[in-house]
Amino acid sequence: MVRRRYEKKEIALAAACILLAVAFLTFYIWHQAALISLGYQTSRLEEKIGQLEEEIKGLEIRKTSLLSLEKVERVAREKLGLVEPRPEQIIYEDFRLTNEDE
Amino acid sequence: MNESSSFFQKRIRKRTIILSFFFFLWFSALTLRLVELQVIEHGRLRAAAFRQNQLKSKIIPERGTIYDRRGIILARSFPAPSVSYIPSEEEPLPQKLAKIEELSRVLELSNADLTRIKARIEKGETFVWIKRKISPEKAEQVKRLGMSEITIQEENKRYYPLGRLAAHVLGGVNIDDEGAGGVELECDVRLKGVAGEGLFLRDAKKRHYHREVLKPPTPGEDLILTVDETIQYIAQRELERAVESHQANWGTVIISHPPSGEILAMASSPGYDPNDFSRAHPEERRNRAIQYNFEPGSTFKIVTAAAAREFGLVDFMDTFDCSNGSIRVAGWTISDHKKMGVLSLSEVLIHSSNVGTAMVGQRIGPEILYRTIKAFRFGEKTGVELPGEEAGIFHPLPKWSGSSLASQSIGYGISVTAIQVLQAMNVFANNGLLIPLRVTRETFDFSPSLQAARPAGERIISEKTASDLVEKVFEKVVLDGTGQAARLKGFTVAGKTGTAQKIDPVTGAYSARKHLASFVGFAPARKPFLSMIVVIDEPKAGLHYGGQVAAPVFQEIARRVLLYLGQTPQFDPAKKVITAQLREASYR
Repeated sequence: MVRRRYEKKEIALAAACILLAVAFLTFYIWHQAALISLGYQTSRLEEKIGQLEEEIKGLEIRKTSLLSLEKVERVAREKLGLVEPRPEQIIYEDFRLTNEDE
Repeated sequence: MNESSSFFQKRIRKRTIILSFFFFLWFSALTLRLVELQVIEHGRLRAAAFRQNQLKSKIIPERGTIYDRRGIILARSFPAPSVSYIPSEEEPLPQKLAKIEELSRVLELSNADLTRIKARIEKGETFVWIKRKISPEKAEQVKRLGMSEITIQEENKRYYPLGRLAAHVLGGVNIDDEGAGGVELECDVRLKGVAGEGLFLRDAKKRHYHREVLKPPTPGEDLILTVDETIQYIAQRELERAVESHQANWGTVIISHPPSGEILAMASSPGYDPNDFSRAHPEERRNRAIQYNFEPGSTFKIVTAAAAREFGLVDFMDTFDCSNGSIRVAGWTISDHKKMGVLSLSEVLIHSSNVGTAMVGQRIGPEILYRTIKAFRFGEKTGVELPGEEAGIFHPLPKWSGSSLASQSIGYGISVTAIQVLQAMNVFANNGLLIPLRVTRETFDFSPSLQAARPAGERIISEKTASDLVEKVFEKVVLDGTGQAARLKGFTVAGKTGTAQKIDPVTGAYSARKHLASFVGFAPARKPFLSMIVVIDEPKAGLHYGGQVAAPVFQEIARRVLLYLGQTPQFDPAKKVITAQLREASYR
């Protein structure tokens, strides 16, 4: 049985083919892994965006609640000692101007 | 050498055959297994893979936000996690209950809730809610327990950041975020939106790495109310003060902008917090402005007056002898709180004489009065966008008794709602046009004063009848008559008081101690900017007349609201109002 001797060119070609196949597979696997990794990242970021949007909404609700007139009046009266103006203390600018005009 | 070579070749061949046989067996086994997995078990494994790898879930749409006319948030939904338990069939009951105990510590369940949950698990239920709509922090703590039987799913929770403010207009939602009262119920279809469907791809550790929206959810529409937060706050606070100081059963206030029919505030006391809608008492949840029928008493005389003038049956200077202080009609005695002498039509109404108004009614006749009451839409719902509105009780003409004409002329024998009376008063404010009242609008109103579309109204009475009555009667009710406590410094006010005796449920007769005090009016009288009705039920602190109990509430609310809206006074607020007392000179 005589074994055929492969020429260097043939060996190089075969090696190149194998290398190409391995490279292609490696690239494909890397690409898939990268895609999945990006998927995780996108999912995390989307979740974060959602959370931040909800946080904004929550803060708007909190702001509305803190600015409720009941609270504002309580703080004005109890903490700042403010009182409502008596009717005679209220000056109507437009009204005075109208009278002057007349 | 040849022998040796042949031996080795045989050995190699034998080994090759053995190895090939093993490979064949191995590949055969693999092939069989593949056939089993790919063909025989295909359906089950495919489903299992989908279950593990893909998760289809309902995307709950966000319920629309409710704003006041200025864009202030009155109600908004917010995602909130809910915890449920799906018991495993293999797990023994004591272990299940131990897990619930552990969950209970994290979620701070009440003893009653814990007992209820345990009972449901003992009964063998396959799905049990543990706690719904918890905080995200609590949900994290539950996740850390690592119980596979526990599911955390996102739901929406409704928040009402201003608490009790405008509770009766807003209503509330149930635990499933469905409208259960107020505009939440009336506009539920618009507010709730349509659920969507999403697909999550996940790995073996159940981490999501891809999300696909199969059917996008349609978020609920936002809703803009005609209510103004500040005006609502003023109305609600003054009403609560009045109900408390007069030791009344309940009270209600509605404020509207007559030219547009927009309701600026609607308050009822006692109230409730819509954040705790399900826990509120049904009586607290009742919107007295639209869901309570009552005999109006003297405020209804505005309709009698309109009938008298519109058909030209009674002149303002026609006189009525009320000197007896009472009159008997079909076995029914109608009396005044004091003897008033001979009064003109204007004076009858200004001083709210029951005897005089009954005489006016007799002059009008039943047909005309009936037609006028119908024209003012009594006995039918106003159509305001709120659920549970009462229509009132107004009997058809053939069912009227001998005393109906007189009694209905003075606001008895007919039941109305507060909103119906306000709608009727707005007819005078709008020069005879009826403009339907409403609580929703299309756009925000950021004008410092009020900006609202003026819908075309339906003519109920002539412009002349309306303006004559405002000028000669309703303004004078506040200047000289029973409604003086509603006077405003710097503005003219038109209005009518009402003090209705209530039927005592024990005796079945009108009680001398149970009254319903009311005041309905608008300001400024000639170019109305706001109209209002105040109703206080059974004041027990001494005063009980509408002019004493309800008119001051009108005065205080109107003063503050006009100031808030930057309305310039019509005359010097410091100037005292001079009124002429013609009656004494003319008739004595």
